[in-house]
Amino acid sequence: MEAWVRFSAQSAAKERVFRAAQYACTLLGYTMQKNGASAELLARIKQLEAHMSLGRKLFRLGNSAEALEAAKRAIHLSDMVLRFCITVAHLNRAMYFACDNILWAGKTGLVPHADQEKWSQRSFRYYLFALIMNLSRDAYEIRLLMEREASGKRPKGTENGHQAQVDNGLQHLALRLRIQLRLLGHVLRSNPPLLLDLVKNACDIFIPLDKLGLYKTSPGFVGLCGLTSSILSILTIVHPWLKLKP
Amino acid sequence: MEAFVLFTNQTQGRDRLFRAAQYACMLLGHVLEHQAGPGAARAALRQLEASMSSGRKLFRLGNMVHAMVAARQTIQLPDLVPRICLTASNLIRALYFICDTVLWLKSVGLLPHIYKWKWRNWATKCYYYSLLMNLTRDLYEISWLLEQAAEKEKAKENSFPSDTQDQDLICLETERQSQPFLPLLYCTLKKHPPLLLDTTKNLCDLSSPLDRLGIYKTNPGIIGLCGLLSSLVGILTIAKPHLKLK
Repeated sequence: MEAWVRFSAQSAAKERVFRAAQYACTLLGYTMQKNGASAELLARIKQLEAHMSLGRKLFRLGNSAEALEAAKRAIHLSDMVLRFCITVAHLNRAMYFACDNILWAGKTGLVPHADQEKWSQRSFRYYLFALIMNLSRDAYEIRLLMEREASGKRPKGTENGHQAQVDNGLQHLALRLRIQLRLLGHVLRSNPPLLLDLVKNACDIFIPLDKLGLYKTSPGFVGLCGLTSSILSILTIVHPWLKLKP
Repeated sequence: MEAFVLFTNQTQGRDRLFRAAQYACMLLGHVLEHQAGPGAARAALRQLEASMSSGRKLFRLGNMVHAMVAARQTIQLPDLVPRICLTASNLIRALYFICDTVLWLKSVGLLPHIYKWKWRNWATKCYYYSLLMNLTRDLYEISWLLEQAAEKEKAKENSFPSDTQDQDLICLETERQSQPFLPLLYCTLKKHPPLLLDTTKNLCDLSSPLDRLGIYKTNPGIIGLCGLLSSLVGILTIAKPHLKLK
């Protein structure tokens, strides 16, 4: 019980729990619709989902400040690529939260003439850019680690030994690909924070891709991706060593 | 901005900010009620207040665990009266959060057949009794401090009758001849800001349940003002933890 008190004392943690619940509702609603549930039940699930979404929007007021602070910290990183990716990601997140605030103001009637559709599209666009930056950062980290691993193994001459057996260009390519994939698997297995961050961002990216119409999937798939990424986020809060630094 | 981010990273900090905003809307709505002109501002304030109240209810889910954990901690206090008062207050608060959760389930449509007014009445009564327990503890602490101050005065009088360097004595001496109680109380509370803040907060919080239960009817303006004051005190005790009554 004390663990829950400590966990829910952080506003980000509690918000993630409700995000998980919201996407679970999306997934549940889609599943029940496919299984022919009553319209009343579906309406109730949709109402719960909308209520959680609005509640989360209220709770996120002021998150732009947190994103700007994070960008301010990231600008002092030594690695240039990391500095660029992380700072731009945080700035996009700050813009996403600003659009989200306007959406909340529109939904609560403070700004009744706000074009909900336009601001929603804008917010998803910023969210998408932030995720692309996060994934670029992940790809960069993976490449660095793979290069380090590969340069560590080369003196052992494993690659030369294999090359002696190859007599076909395509087979050679397939072999190189297998080696790279094995290396990738090894790098990700030995770096759980990076793996978790990669999976989280990969799951998250399907949400704006669907909402912007760039890659339409189903509400069930979006719900599943959202639920998975929320659970992974909760995991990184409960076990801080799993969070990718910086 | 960093201080704001640190403050809003705590769930309770964020909740107090929204509570202050909610009661400010109530107060402002009451002030504008008696002014002529379009009701658009008043309607917007009412909607904003309702939205904040509903969002805060969502984020209060799970707080009954907090109350149970707090009760488990207060049951170990050395002093009998604070132990009983605070443990009772926390247990009643847990009941309040249970009623609050049921009301949330009703508002979201998950429990459509419950009587809202009945559960609301129980929730208000639980909140009221919990506040009374907190005030009993505050009164006990105040009376103990007054007793201590009186004893100190007597001891000082016996040893150094003409010593007027002590600020306490200046307070006590000048008022001893006339009405001693109120100025003595003022001096005591001035030296113990956490107790003063806690008493003020509990007294302000009483206005809402007193009105709802029909014990002492006021108006939304007074309730809004008291709620705003108690939220500001709550924000102060979270921003400066040394001001929280232990």
